[in-house]
Formats: sequence, C-alpha cells, structure tokens
Amino acid sequence: MKHALLPIAVGLVVLMGTSCGKTPEAKPADQTRDARREARTAGRDAAKTAGETKQGPLTIGVMPKLIGIDFFNATEKGAKLAGQELGVEVVFDGPVTNDVQLQAQMLETWIARKYDGIAIAPNDPDAIAPVLEKARKRGIKVISWDADSKPSSRDFFVNQCTSRSVAKTLMDVMAEGVGLNAKYLILTGSLTAANQNIWMAEMEKYRQEKYPGMTNLSETPKASEEDQALATQVTTDCLKTYADLQGMFAITSVALPGAAEGLRKAGAAARVFLTGLSTPKTMREYVHDGTVKRFVLWNPVDLGYLAVYAAVATAKGELQPGAASFTAGHVGACRVEGDMIILGDPIIFDKSNIDNFDF
Amino acid sequence: MTRRAFLSREAVLLYVLLAMFAGFSVFVEGFLDWFSLFERMRYWAIPGLIAVPMTFIIATAGIDLSVASIVAMSGILLGLLYRDAHFPIAAASIAAVAVGLCAGAFNGGVSSFLGIPPLVVTLATMALFRGVAMGLSKGQPISDFPEGFLWLSQGDALRVPVGNAGLVTIPVPLFALAAAVAVGWVLMRRSWVGRFTECVGENPIAAEFAAIDVRRLKFALYAASGLVCGVAALFNTALYATAKADTAAGMELEVIACVVVGGTRISGGQGSVVGSLLGLFIIGILRYGLEMAGVKSQYVIIVVGGLLIATTVFNEWMARRRGVKG
Repeated sequence: MKHALLPIAVGLVVLMGTSCGKTPEAKPADQTRDARREARTAGRDAAKTAGETKQGPLTIGVMPKLIGIDFFNATEKGAKLAGQELGVEVVFDGPVTNDVQLQAQMLETWIARKYDGIAIAPNDPDAIAPVLEKARKRGIKVISWDADSKPSSRDFFVNQCTSRSVAKTLMDVMAEGVGLNAKYLILTGSLTAANQNIWMAEMEKYRQEKYPGMTNLSETPKASEEDQALATQVTTDCLKTYADLQGMFAITSVALPGAAEGLRKAGAAARVFLTGLSTPKTMREYVHDGTVKRFVLWNPVDLGYLAVYAAVATAKGELQPGAASFTAGHVGACRVEGDMIILGDPIIFDKSNIDNFDF
Repeated sequence: MTRRAFLSREAVLLYVLLAMFAGFSVFVEGFLDWFSLFERMRYWAIPGLIAVPMTFIIATAGIDLSVASIVAMSGILLGLLYRDAHFPIAAASIAAVAVGLCAGAFNGGVSSFLGIPPLVVTLATMALFRGVAMGLSKGQPISDFPEGFLWLSQGDALRVPVGNAGLVTIPVPLFALAAAVAVGWVLMRRSWVGRFTECVGENPIAAEFAAIDVRRLKFALYAASGLVCGVAALFNTALYATAKADTAAGMELEVIACVVVGGTRISGGQGSVVGSLLGLFIIGILRYGLEMAGVKSQYVIIVVGGLLIATTVFNEWMARRRGVKG
C-alpha cells in the first residue's frame, strides 16, 4: 500500500519542481503584460468610448442559467452561429446547476479575462446585479437574455417574446382547438414561478377581452413543481375530478410532456384538448400520436443568436438605447421597446412543422 | 527540528500553492492580475470563515453538514427583520448571528447530550434549517439592503502596494477571514482548546479519563460553528445584496473539502487551521486558474475532484509515514 502511494508523491514533487523551475522565465512575460495593463488602464481612464483600442476579434461571453439541458443547448447553437457570422469569439459556459452564486463567480473570471461583452440568463435578477454592475464599470457591455436582471445592471434585455404575446397565442390555440366556450384548467410549475404567474395573469386579461365565453375551472392553477411524474399524476386526477373539462394548458416545458403522458394513459385525448409551452424535442412523440395537436414556444436557437448579435452591436456602440428596431442576421428586424429587444412572436408547433426543429 | 518544519504538512501545502500560482502565472495569460485576484478572493472569505470552526469539529472526528443551511436561515432572518419588521440593519445583523448561534447550539446539544452521531444530527438539521429558510421567505428573495451594509462584502479597505502592480485595495471580507484564522490558530496551537480537541478526536475514552469534559467541549464547538455561520451569513447577504433561501447551496461540501485538503484528518485527532486556509486557496486558485485558461466548467469540476483525491491520498501517506517513524 505504502509503495503504491510513493509514485504519486514523487510525481507531485517532480511536478512542483518543474513548475518552480520555470518561475524565472516569467519575467519577460510579466513585463509585456505590465505594459499592456498600463496601456489598458490608460485607455480606460482617458476615454470610455465604444470600440476602444482593441486589436483582434471581440470576445463575447454567453452564460445560460445552467448548462446541459435541451433548451440551453439549443441557445448555444444559435449563439455560436451568430459568433461565426459576425467574426467574434463566443464563449458559451455556465454553472452545472441553476445557481446564481456560481454564475457570479464565473462572471468575476470573465471580467478578469476582459471580455468585450457579456450576455447572461441570470438565475436571480437581484443577486447577479452587483457583479454585473462591476462589469459595466469596467467598460464591459452587458445583455440579459431569457430572464432579466435588475435594469441598472445591464444595457439591454433580450426578451424571447412579450408575456402578452405568449398569453395571446396560447388562448388563440385553445379557442381554435375547443371553441369559444371552452372550459379549461391551467397546470403550472410552482405557484411562485414568476414567468408563469405573469403569463397566467395576461391570459386571464386576454380571456376577458376576447373570449368572455371561456371558463377557467379553477382560479388557482394546478402545480406540478417542474416534476414530470407529478404533472402526469395531477393530470390524471383532474380528468377524474372535472367531468366537464374540455381544455388544458400546461405552461412549463416539463409540465406539458407530463400532462400529455397522463392524457395518453387515460385515453382522453379526444375529450380534452391539451396545449402549452415546451420544446419540440420532448413533444415530438405526443404530437405524432395525436395526444397533443398544437403547442407553443419561442425559438431558443434564435434567442441565443439574437443575444450575441445584440451584445456585439452594443459593444461596438452600434446599438444605443432609444433605437426603434434592431436587425440581427437571419432573424431580421426585431422590435425594441426602451431597453428591451423582443425576439418576436412565439411559434406554434404541430404535425406539419415539428420535424423541422432540432431543439 | 528545522528540517521537520520544512517538511511539515502545512509547508508542503504552501509549496503546492506556490507551484500552482507560479505555473498559472507563466502559462495563463492574464492570471497574474492582482486586482482581479482580489476580486475573486472576496468570494472565498465566506467558506473560509466557516472552515475555521469546521477544522476543530473534524479534528474531534465530528462533522457539521448544516453550515450552509444555517447561512441561508440566518440570511433570511436578517432580510425579514430588516425589511418587514423594520429593524435597524445593525440590530437585524445581531439577531441573525444569534440565530446562527442557537442553530449551532441545537446541533451541539442534540449530538453531545443525547449522544446521537453528529453526521445524523446535522444531516437532519441541514434539511430542517433550509426548510425554515424556505418557509419563512416563501421561496422569494429579499433585497434592497442599505449601501453601508453592502460595504461589508463589496467594499475595499487599505490600499497596499503589491509587486509592481501599484496600489491594490483589499476587499473588506478578507480582513474578517484573516482575523478568524488568527483566532483559530491561537486556539488550536497555543491554547488548551486545540490540545483537548485533538485529544478527543484521537481517543475520546482516554480524553474522558484525562478529565476532559468531552460533551461540553463538543457542544461548544458546534455552537461556535453556528455563530460563525451567522457571521458568514452577513457577508454572504452583503456580497449578493440578496437574501435567498437557496443561497450557499452545497457550500458545506466546499468547506469540508478545504479542511480535508488542508490536512485535517476526517477520522479526527489532528487539525490545522492554517492548513484549511491553504486548502481554501489551493482549491480557489485551481478553479480560478483553470477558468482563466478558458477550461469549461464541466472539466474544472473533474480537475478539482482529482485534486481532492490526490491530496487525501498524500495526506494519508504523510500520516502513515509519520506514524511509522513514531
């Protein structure tokens, strides 16, 4: 046992020795680095004008809420594509859990690496603000996307679509699917989920304006806590409890496939029209077997693409607050409202188009 | 004697740290920027503070898994007292620290006076305190703390000349960390507390026979851990300008990792506060260096895990060798 450990220790010592031996060589590198730092500081102090004395392509750091899930993998594709088109380097990285503190620490590194722009989907709008404000003070342009941060901590917010348009699209799909007198239920994530609560409020407002004949069978939405199995169970229960149920909204990307599973098991797809928000990848089988006919989402690839276009344009000083619209490559002209850039209207997915989307 | 000092575990850790630092400085462009390094160190003060009492607890062969949950609970209480009960921020801070102390005393009381293993007790309170934080705040973050309070973590003090980088300001939380380590070092190496602590970890029965009040000592250590977590909660809240129930997620493991890398044996009997500080810096520098080198976060985790394995194997080897030498 002891002998087995010896080589490791020796290896460590050797490693230490070699690294130490290289220290003297650090000097010339240090000097050039110092010179560069001085130049940088001087530049920063003298003029904070956009597009400073910067050689080489811009570097844009793009940070999702977390890495390794379908939705953000899709946004990465768009971000990288935009980077290629614009000839900038795009670094796409984020924490492995949706932890705002890990995001903040990674951003410290990005500030130290002197990125030209940062585009972030923050896990918490307030907790991320101090570090973003620090970045802005250092002359880095900041874009928030997917979710907003405190307005004072970023230059622009790239919003997938307004809550109004999400609500409107969902209600219109329901009206087409069931009719003007639909009796429906809403399945949400957790009862405190901010995005979902805003959408539900907008849906109710739109219902009163446009579809007064429709009825929401339960004022309090059903909660599925971002748990697919729970969504299935809640759906099964609702099918039994509400005999006159005609339609159902499942408005998180996890709740919709869960609800679809419940509907399929109960064989109730003909009686209850299910729609909501989710990714085509997870919904493909339910659309093809007819359990879900139509559902809604924005395009995450385009969202990542637009975020990078906005970050680059802001870093170059081409996009200033007050612009009425912003044109981003193949996405085209996007509406700008104050300091919010809107990707556009949500997409409706059905049998005819679902196979065209790879996210 | 001097030979021993140069080959002590702390010294070896220091060599590793210096070697890593030198290596990153040479090979990673932009690493050696004191301004950015200090900005990053701001974040280390919080786990660093908690690592001090954790060193003592692990030296008694115990563990405190509830530290991060206490940070969250104290932070939420601070926020609620300030925002909803309109306490002055100082009073709310004192109350938050007191809550940390009570939580730690609860851990210590249940584990030492009821004789339940601390792993079980703090595993339970880890969930319990986190749950209280969630329940009290209803899962909603609390922000809008006064500027003066934020200074605690976001402020700078004392401009010092560092190398040829000119004057660099030191982040405020690092002073708290330095103070905590100093107090910890004195207690561990220069007072009966450290001797008794290591004795209890080495052999609790022998300690009992040596007229050490083992239960009271353990109770006091867990209570102190809670107290420090309460203080850490202030820094944590100020750093993010937000009190959140899910804050500091997984920080207990981060703290334990620092202590273990620092050479404190998880089986008890030996503790080094300075070692824990070096462990904190080794892990921190490794992460920062790899991130500066543009390594993706998935791979950073792998390297940090590898470092943990390597150091524990190395520590074990050192301990055995010493044991053989007598």
